Amino acid sequence: MPNLRISGLKVGYGRATVIENLALSVASGELVTVLGANGAGKTTLLNGIMGLAPPRAGSILMEDQELIGLRPEQLVALGVVLVPERRELFGNLTVEVNLRLGGYRTGAPSKSLDRIYSLFPILAERRRQKAATLSGGEQQMLAVGRALMSGPRLLMLDEPSIGLAPLIVQEILRVIGQLKADGLTIILVEQNARLALSMADRGYVLEVGRIVLEGPSGSLSADPRLSQAYLGGAADYAAARDQVYVD
Amino acid sequence: MLDTLSFLLIDGITNGAVYGLLALSLIVIYTVTRVVNIAQGEYVTLGALSFASALSGSFNLLSGLVAAGLAAFALRDVADKHLGASARIRVLLIRSAWIAGVLATAFAASRFPGSYWLAVLASLAATASLGTLTYRLTVEPVSGASPVVLLIVSVGVYMVLHGAAVLIWGAEPRSVPPVVEGGVSLGPVFIAYQSLWICGIAVLAMGGLYAFSERTLMGQALQATAVNRVGAQLCGIPVRLAGQLSFAIGAGFSALSGLLLAPLITANYDMGLPIGLKGFVAAALGGIVEYPTALIGVMLVGLTESFSAFQVSAFRDVIVFLMVIPILLWRNAVRPPEAHEH
Ligand SMILES: Nc1ncnc2c1ncn2[C@@H]1O[C@H](COP(=O)(O)OP(=O)(O)O)[C@@H](O)[C@H]1O
Ligand SMILES: [Mg+2]
Repeated sequence: MPNLRISGLKVGYGRATVIENLALSVASGELVTVLGANGAGKTTLLNGIMGLAPPRAGSILMEDQELIGLRPEQLVALGVVLVPERRELFGNLTVEVNLRLGGYRTGAPSKSLDRIYSLFPILAERRRQKAATLSGGEQQMLAVGRALMSGPRLLMLDEPSIGLAPLIVQEILRVIGQLKADGLTIILVEQNARLALSMADRGYVLEVGRIVLEGPSGSLSADPRLSQAYLGGAADYAAARDQVYVD
Repeated sequence: MLDTLSFLLIDGITNGAVYGLLALSLIVIYTVTRVVNIAQGEYVTLGALSFASALSGSFNLLSGLVAAGLAAFALRDVADKHLGASARIRVLLIRSAWIAGVLATAFAASRFPGSYWLAVLASLAATASLGTLTYRLTVEPVSGASPVVLLIVSVGVYMVLHGAAVLIWGAEPRSVPPVVEGGVSLGPVFIAYQSLWICGIAVLAMGGLYAFSERTLMGQALQATAVNRVGAQLCGIPVRLAGQLSFAIGAGFSALSGLLLAPLITANYDMGLPIGLKGFVAAALGGIVEYPTALIGVMLVGLTESFSAFQVSAFRDVIVFLMVIPILLWRNAVRPPEAHEH
């Protein structure tokens, strides 16, 4: 039974429609990647699922419950959690308070906190530091850690590798791999197709708001249309890496 | 000369404490909801008048109106089709208890006239709840609007609340007894107990708010909503509840300052606006976001007011309001507006 089943989805901002008639599904325990160039609508898709950009049509079912119309806090309560592209940390609050707030709904038990610190030991060292003083990589770890504090059932990651040094990317991927091994259902949005397909079970390719290609990671990696568009796009990745998000 | 100086100093500090509660109210509301609340002073008025009613043993009409408003929203929320069965029962229970609290304190106060703490409780319950209603009725429907729109909305709220105060209590000022009559003489200087009372309660209230913000998860959630609204939503913090909470705190603190001040100046429908604006002048020193700077601001405003009242009493308010110009110029120089956008 699919954990998440999206059909006929339409999302936009103001008068502009960005995504239209989109279908996508994720099985329980699966890691699905959504690939696409800058501006394809990947972030908009995740914002739509999360209720930050309320969908205008379609349906998002999670185990037969309709998610459209729910507010973000209601989605978090159901276990739908997003690590946003811009991280959206609380810069003037400490690392530990940021993490505790991630577990706001469950009262932030110390047990969850200890688990995050064992996943990202560097965060334990920085626990009393303000989030704004962390390096880009540490901020990304904090963003992932904060999301995990709420005990997600569906974790959505929006370009977690963007702007980070290869070593840090490795560290984050290690944790994503561990979460997958623990059975968490994950949607990983990436511009770096090679990286994402190396971890994912299946993938979708988004182009100007439409799915143009989908399939198991192996066949997508071998698909000439994808390699033409993205795998050769090493320049894209380098450009994306230089783009640093500071909040 | 020295007694005059000490007298003015104490007067200024007392005023400063009152404006301090106002400045905190303005900052809590602005940081969480982006509303520059022109109507803030009306909660001072309503707090003082509700308190006067309760002390004199009449049922506070405001409590009845607020309870009706809360009941209307409770009905709407309980009917929300996205709610699960257990959540529905929880909403029903919490709201019933809340409404019962507002009505019960008002009834109890009317049964036992002259009981100071019951009157305080009744007044604060009514005004803090009115704060949440104001948020739900006027801010939530335009959430995401620009600060200018929110400011104009608050001007509308000011007009309605100001009119409501006259409708309910009339234009006659009401005298309110102090919590304890008299005062102490320190050498040549006489300090009214009410002044000490005001300063003490203000410090306690500010300390309480500080502890709440720093030490409790809910207080930190309020801060988080102020720092980054999207981030707060992604943490599962109900940002609309945070907005209501900020308005409840803001309205409650302002009402508290009103009922503390009432014995010194009588409670009347017109008392709030100048107090609210002076709180604003003080808060502007910290850009309506920085608590410590605002506390410097309130002492500056309080002392300027009492010293100018002594020197040129007719121009007291003019001088205080003129302070906003150098304050804004200074603020702009040290911290240009775009520096704290994110
Ligand atoms: N807040 C917004 N308001 C208006 N348009 C937006 C907004 N965010 C994104 N867009 C537009 O939607 C399109 C898709 O953007 P986005 O979802 O961020 O793409 P991606 O994440 O794939 O890079 C782009 O054309 C972008 O300009
Ligand atoms: Mg994006």
